[in-house]
Amino acid sequence: MPVLARAQTNYEIQVYGADTVPPQNLMVELHSNFTVDGQKDIIDGVLPTNHQEHETIELTEGLTDWSEVGFYIFTAEQDGQGVQWVGDHIRPRVRVPDSWNWPVGVSVSTEIGFQRSAYSTDTWTWEVRPIIDKAIGRWYFAINPALERTLHGPDVDQGWGFAPSAKISYDFTPVVSGGLEYYADYDAISNIASVHNQQQQLFVVTDLNVSPVWEINFGIGIGATASTDHLIVKMILGRRFDWGRHSPVD
Amino acid sequence: MLSRRELLKLSGLAAMSSSLPMIARDSAAARDLAVAHDVSSSAALAAAPDYRLEIAPVTLELSPRHTVRTIAYNGQAPGPLLRFKEGQPVTIDVANHTDRPEIVHWHGLFLPPDVDGAMEEGTPPIAASQTTRYVFTPRPSGFRWYHTHTMAMGDLTLAQYGGQHGLLMIEPRDDPARYDQEFFLVLHDWDGRLLASDDGAMNPSYAVSTINGKVMGAGEPLRVKQGQRVLLHVLNSSPTEVHWVSFAGHGLQVVALDGNPVPTPQTVPMLRLAPAERVCALVEMNNPGVWIFGEVRKHVQAAGMAVVVEYADHSGTAQWRQPADLVWNYERFSTAQVPAAAESHAGSEPAIAIPLVLESKFRGHGAMEAWTINGKSYPDTGSVPLEQGRRYRLQFINKSLDDHPLHLHRHSFELRSLGAPLRTGRGPGTGTGPRVGRGLIKDVVLVDAQTQTEVEFTADNPGATLFHCHQQDHMDLGFMLVFNYA
Repeated sequence: MPVLARAQTNYEIQVYGADTVPPQNLMVELHSNFTVDGQKDIIDGVLPTNHQEHETIELTEGLTDWSEVGFYIFTAEQDGQGVQWVGDHIRPRVRVPDSWNWPVGVSVSTEIGFQRSAYSTDTWTWEVRPIIDKAIGRWYFAINPALERTLHGPDVDQGWGFAPSAKISYDFTPVVSGGLEYYADYDAISNIASVHNQQQQLFVVTDLNVSPVWEINFGIGIGATASTDHLIVKMILGRRFDWGRHSPVD
Repeated sequence: MLSRRELLKLSGLAAMSSSLPMIARDSAAARDLAVAHDVSSSAALAAAPDYRLEIAPVTLELSPRHTVRTIAYNGQAPGPLLRFKEGQPVTIDVANHTDRPEIVHWHGLFLPPDVDGAMEEGTPPIAASQTTRYVFTPRPSGFRWYHTHTMAMGDLTLAQYGGQHGLLMIEPRDDPARYDQEFFLVLHDWDGRLLASDDGAMNPSYAVSTINGKVMGAGEPLRVKQGQRVLLHVLNSSPTEVHWVSFAGHGLQVVALDGNPVPTPQTVPMLRLAPAERVCALVEMNNPGVWIFGEVRKHVQAAGMAVVVEYADHSGTAQWRQPADLVWNYERFSTAQVPAAAESHAGSEPAIAIPLVLESKFRGHGAMEAWTINGKSYPDTGSVPLEQGRRYRLQFINKSLDDHPLHLHRHSFELRSLGAPLRTGRGPGTGTGPRVGRGLIKDVVLVDAQTQTEVEFTADNPGATLFHCHQQDHMDLGFMLVFNYA
């Protein structure tokens, strides 16, 4: 989740797992997020988030057994604004191969892209996201201690910011999992923001594992600080397409 | 044509068997006995056994790039080839040099439960650092094997995930086979790890696959001569994986399944072996060159499961001809007539049906599935009583999404129907799937997911009789049941 100082943040609200998309597979995801109770004012030229609908299309292509590249199209819809293109990001990712036999899943993604200044004062940003996850029985844990910095915009001299996220969930049935997702932005590592100015969000989520090729995630999140949108509803709907030619003898 | 014994001396496996301590094989004291008892500190040690197996940790070199630390018999995997005479009592001392209890199962033999090698039947385990003597009269003849029958419970270095498997040939009193040379080929998978799979649970996956404990190119080639008639004895000792193998440039005439002659030998392009299955196939060496015998699936062969076959006076790069599909069915080796062997067991009364519903039990996306038979996991599956002398029809109703290699201890069974698609709901299958002919006698059958397969056997070997899935991860997590009859 790109979290920026004077920026709308709720385009892709997701804690990443360490797995990558298999080669010759395309993952198509639609992230639909509606801010029920958010920022109501224009700040530094950035449009308010309150009652704004964000639709993000994410396309991720598996390259090898241990790498993928993702591409994002961010859009926003709001009364008086219509449907607006917000920006695009590209996100290569590599992971530790299974053959290394690590006890946890580990991958690293790097995401770079542009957002229009009406949606983020920092228009070019770069994120480096380590990803660690582990499934133990019915429990699943993931942590994404992401670092990000501005490449073009007012915060270009602030250096790296710290925007961690984490997830814990429990498999109630083979199909239904439920849990909590945590998202935060502490601002610059060298100058951690006061709690008032930090972004702190907690989502109650459910994942529906209806099929290996479908990804379905719902969540309701609350913002715990003044700088955070107070109530957001999110949904991720994903479908994996296998376009490779497979033979039983492969 | 050379005699069988002379040719044995030429084969690599003869070297394996010659490493065994073969001592007096006709012990009057042992005749008609079938016992397993601790001899670590008894005077019984004074009587030398016919064979001795040492269970101990060992580092095996699968290839110059792959070594594995495991537990094996006599420092090798597969363990030594043991040749017994059908009906002739044999004594085997098994020394356990590990720090945990062990047990050796004599797979495919009709033994009493106290020596069969399954603690669930009552065979005593071999305590750590102790030696147990197995004394029994081996039967029936054919290609059998021996292996550990312990639990791994998620540790993918233990039990059948390791190197405790070996070859067993029960030689008939009169050997009618005609061949010039024989090879024993053992398929195994190593270095397992648990990975998430599409069925929503964790399943073992393997980094290295071998034939006779070697990745292709790391071991000696099989050396043959043009015009020879070669008999291949192929065993799949993999803890969990089904394998398809083919011999490039050659057909494989299947003559026995699980060590039992088939009524209708057929030449096929490839063999399919589920875990614990054996296939004996004759090959006419009529295509000189250097060839590959190996796994048909590319990724498994790339993991090492292949061996080079080299004709005399030929050299060069080994050739492989990639099949386009996986082809196998049991029924083509059956017959329309009732063979005498099956008829003698059938009796006059109809077989009593025992439905066994096989299902998985979800334990989380980060765990392996548990397994149930008729809704219960072992040991809660209890003991199913049988009546001696009666014929039983086991109905394997596989409602799970996995195929299962099902094994019945101490008995053989006859395949009667295969792969009938299940009706929706919980009832038995339609029974209208591909019907199998008669005469296929086995001790392991692979039951496809969401199908029903039926086998018949005669309760003619009293005592506790273990039935289980031969996948180590499945038997570890409940897929076992004990039949019992006095």
